[in-house]
Amino acid sequence: MAYQSLVYGFVFLPLCLLVYQIAPQKWRRRVLLAFSYLFFWLLSGKLIVYLLGTTVFVHCIGIWLEWLRSEQKTALASAERCEKKRIKGIYQKKSRRVLAFGVLLLIGILAYLKYYNFFAGNLNGIFGSALPFTLEEKNILMPVGISFYTLQAIGYLADVYWGKIRAEEKLENTALFLAFFPQIMEGPICRYSDTAGTLYSGKSLEIDNLTEGYIRIFWGLFKKKVIADRLAIGVDAIFGNYTSYSGAMTVFAAAAYTVQLYMEFSGCMDIIIGSGQLFGVKLPENFRQPFAAQSAAEFWRRWHITLGTWFKTYIFYPVSMSGPVKKWNQYGRKHFGKYITMLGTSAMALFPVWLCNGLWHGARWSYIFYGMYYFTLILLGIAAEPLRDRVLELLHIGEKSAGLKVVRIAKTWLIIFTGELFFRADGLRAGIYMFRSIFRNFDLNSLFDGRLLELGMSRADLIAIAAGCVVVAIVGAVKERGVHVREALGRKPVFIRWSIYYALLLAVIVIAAYGDGYQAVDMIYAGF
Amino acid sequence: MEKLMEILMEIDDSIDYEKEKALIDDRLLDSFGVITLVSELEDAFDIDIEASEMTPDNFNSAESIYNMVKRLQEN
Amino acid sequence: MKKRKKIILALIIFIALLWICSAGIQIVARNVKGAINERSRVFASVSSEPEKTIDLLVAGDSESYTSISPMDLWNQTGIAAYDCGQPAQRIQETYYVLKTAFQKQSPKLVLLETNTMFRNPGFLTNLQLSLTEPLNYHFPIFRYHNAWKALFDGPGGLKSGYMGFEIRDKTVSYEGDENYMKETKDKTEIPEVTRIYMDKIRNLCRKNGADLLLFSAPSPVNYNYKKYNALKEYAEEADLPYVDLNLRYRDIGIDWKKDSYDKGDHLNIDGARKVTEFMAKYLTDNYQLPDRREDGRWKEWNELAESYFKELEQCVIL
Repeated sequence: MAYQSLVYGFVFLPLCLLVYQIAPQKWRRRVLLAFSYLFFWLLSGKLIVYLLGTTVFVHCIGIWLEWLRSEQKTALASAERCEKKRIKGIYQKKSRRVLAFGVLLLIGILAYLKYYNFFAGNLNGIFGSALPFTLEEKNILMPVGISFYTLQAIGYLADVYWGKIRAEEKLENTALFLAFFPQIMEGPICRYSDTAGTLYSGKSLEIDNLTEGYIRIFWGLFKKKVIADRLAIGVDAIFGNYTSYSGAMTVFAAAAYTVQLYMEFSGCMDIIIGSGQLFGVKLPENFRQPFAAQSAAEFWRRWHITLGTWFKTYIFYPVSMSGPVKKWNQYGRKHFGKYITMLGTSAMALFPVWLCNGLWHGARWSYIFYGMYYFTLILLGIAAEPLRDRVLELLHIGEKSAGLKVVRIAKTWLIIFTGELFFRADGLRAGIYMFRSIFRNFDLNSLFDGRLLELGMSRADLIAIAAGCVVVAIVGAVKERGVHVREALGRKPVFIRWSIYYALLLAVIVIAAYGDGYQAVDMIYAGF
Repeated sequence: MEKLMEILMEIDDSIDYEKEKALIDDRLLDSFGVITLVSELEDAFDIDIEASEMTPDNFNSAESIYNMVKRLQEN
Repeated sequence: MKKRKKIILALIIFIALLWICSAGIQIVARNVKGAINERSRVFASVSSEPEKTIDLLVAGDSESYTSISPMDLWNQTGIAAYDCGQPAQRIQETYYVLKTAFQKQSPKLVLLETNTMFRNPGFLTNLQLSLTEPLNYHFPIFRYHNAWKALFDGPGGLKSGYMGFEIRDKTVSYEGDENYMKETKDKTEIPEVTRIYMDKIRNLCRKNGADLLLFSAPSPVNYNYKKYNALKEYAEEADLPYVDLNLRYRDIGIDWKKDSYDKGDHLNIDGARKVTEFMAKYLTDNYQLPDRREDGRWKEWNELAESYFKELEQCVIL
C-alpha cells in the first residue's frame, strides 16, 4: 500500500482517523501504533519481527543508558570532590560501551540485510578461488523502511547517551516513535525531540488540520502523479537502453530523472507530512527548494534535509570532535597554517559522511561513487573559496549580484544532474558510458526531431509535465521569498482560496497519470 | 569573556560579535569555524566539549558561547 | 459547529463539481470517436451504441473477445452480439462493464468467459478495484479523465472494431500437449472475490431480465481439468448453465497448429470463427434470441458485416 494509492489516502487514513477520534485520549497513541503495525504488516508481512525486535532492543538500551546516568548521579552526590572526575570517567566508559553495543548491533542487522550480498559478491570476485571458502549470495528479504527506522533508532540512543533527552519509559511510545506509519517507508528521519511531543499527546482531531493535511496530500499527489510518474516512462526508457541514445538525450534523461526524483520524493513527503498533520503530528520538512541552491553543499542542506541533519549530528560532529581530528587541528595550525589545516579537518570529517551517504542508498558501486562525487566537489568548493573570493574582488563582483547568483545556480544544476545521472544509471559502468556519450555524440537535433516522443511519453504527457513543473516552480519561488504559502492562502477570501483548492483537486483527478495506459510507479526512496 | 572575544576575532575578524545573535542560524560561522572554535576553547579554558554540545543554541552568540564555557567549567 | 457546516458545504460543492465534469466527459466519450483509449475504450464504445440494439453481451478477459466474432454470429444467426471484454479483465470490471452496458441496452443473454473468474490479484488490489470501479462507474470523470490527451495527441489509433472484435490474422502454433484436459478429481480454488462479484453479476442479470451463460474458450495455456472441475461445481451451485469448449475442441475443429494466435494462449481469427460457429449452433438450440437481419434498425450491422468479410478476404491467412 503505497502512500500515493487510493487505498492509503481514502480507506486506510480515514479508518485510522475515525478509530483515533472515537478512542479515549489515553488510547489514541495505541490506535496509531496498531495502525502502524497493520500498515507495516500489509507491506512486509512476517518481516515485522525485525521491527519488533529492534523496538524492544532499542527500548532496553535506552533504559540502560538512563539507568547508568542516574547511578552516576547518586555516586557523584556522595563522592568527594577529588573523586568526582574518576567516577565520571568510569560511568562515561560504561555508557559508551552500552551505546556502542546498541549502535553496532543495529548497524550490524542493517549491514547484513543490505550489504551482505554486495560484500560476498565482491569478495568472491576479487579473490576468486584464492580463498579457501566462498561466501554464497543469499536471497535476503529486507523489511520496508529499515534504512529509515534504523537511523532513527541510532539517533535516539545517541541523544539519550548525550543526555539530550530522557529515555522513553513506555515501550509502546518507543514503538510508535520508530513505527509511525506515515514516515516508516520513506522518512523523514525524525529525532525523538521532533515528534515525541505531538505523537503521544492524543489530541482530538481538528478540522483545520484535516483540511490542511488533505490539501497537502493532494499537492503531493499532484507532484507525484502528474509529473513524476509521467517522467518515469521516458527516464526508464533511456536509462534502460542507454547505448542507443544521443548525448543530448542523455542530458535530457539526467535532468528528467532529477526532476522525477524531486517530484516523487518531495511529493511523497507532502503526502507523509500531510498525513501527520491530520493527526496534529508535526513531522520535520525534508526539502527546501533544492533547485535554488548556489552550491553543492547548499543543495544538500535543502535536499533530503533530515538525512543530512542526521549525518551532521551523528557522524560529522562526533568525528570532527574526536581526538585525532582535534589533535590534527592543533598540530596543523602550528605547522601548516590555517588553510591546509582546515582542508585536512574538512576531509577527515566529510569523508565518512559521504561514504555513509553513498552506502546508505544501497550496496552498489555507483552509490559509493555518488557519495565520493559529492565529497570531492564539496571539498573542492572549500579549497577554492579563497581563490574565488580573490577573483570576485578583482572583478568587482559583489557577493549578492544577480548575475553571479544565476551562474552559481546553473553550475549547481550541472553538478546535481551529473550526480543523479550516475545515481540512476544501471551500474557504474553504465554511468560512465552515458557520461562519455555526452561528449562523443551530442546531436542536439535529436531533442527536436520527434525522437523524444518515441520514449512512451506522448505530446500531451510532455505538456502536462511542463505545465506541472511551472506550477511547482512558481510555488517554490514564492516560498523562496519567505512566503508561507498556506498562511498566505488563508488570508485570501474564502471564494478564492477554495477555488484554488478545487482547481488542485480537479487537476489531480483529470491530469494525473493513472488509468488507461499508465502503470502505477513504485516509490523510489522506499527501495533504499 | 575577553579571552573568548580574542579567540573569536582570530577565527573571523569581520564579524561584529557584540551584536550578532544568530552566528549559526545565519551561517556566519560555518561548521569548520565552529570546530576550530571548539578546539581553541578547549585549550584556553581547559574544558571538554562533546559532540552533544553542538547545537545552534550554544553557538549563536558570543554570550551563549560564554555561558556554555562557564557551565562546562563548573562541572 | 460552524466550521463543520463549512466542511460539509465544501464536500457537497466538490461532489457537484465531480458530477458536472462527469456529465461533460460522458458526452465526449459517447460522441467523440478515439477520445477514450486502451482499457476504458470498451466502456465508451458499448455505451455509444444506439439504445436497445444489443441482444447478447460477451464479457470476460482477452479469452472472450478473441473467441467470439459478433459479425460471424450475425451472419449465421442474426443475433446482435457485442464483445465487451477487456485485456486481463478483473471480475470487478466485468460487473461494471455489464452495468454500464445495461444502462442503454437490454440484452437477453450475457455470455461470460470464465477465465476472469480465476484472477486474484491479492487483497489490497481487490480492495482497490472494489473502490475504484464503483467510483469510475458513478463518476465517469475518473474512468475517462485521460480524454483530454486526445486534444494534443489526436484520436487514438483505432483499429476498425467489429462490435468489440478485431481480426487477428497471425498464427503462432501451440506445440504443447494436445491432451491438456487430463481427467482428475482436483479442483482449482475459485477466489472469494469472484464469488462475491458473481453474485452481483447474477443479480444484475436477473434484474435486467437477461440469462447468464458461462463458457470456457479453448486455451491450453489457461485451462485444465482442475479449472473445469471448479467451474462445473460452481455452475451447479449457482444454478447456471456452463459450456466448456476445451473438452470439445476437437468437435469444434480447432487445430492447435493453425488456429492459435500466440502459442495456445488466444485463438486467431480462424479459431475464433470456428468457436463462433459452434456457439451459434448452441445458442440457437438453447435460447430464443431474435434474428435482426431483416430489421431496418439494424441496417448498420449488415453494412459492418459486409466490411468485415471484405477485410477477411484480404487477410493472408485465408
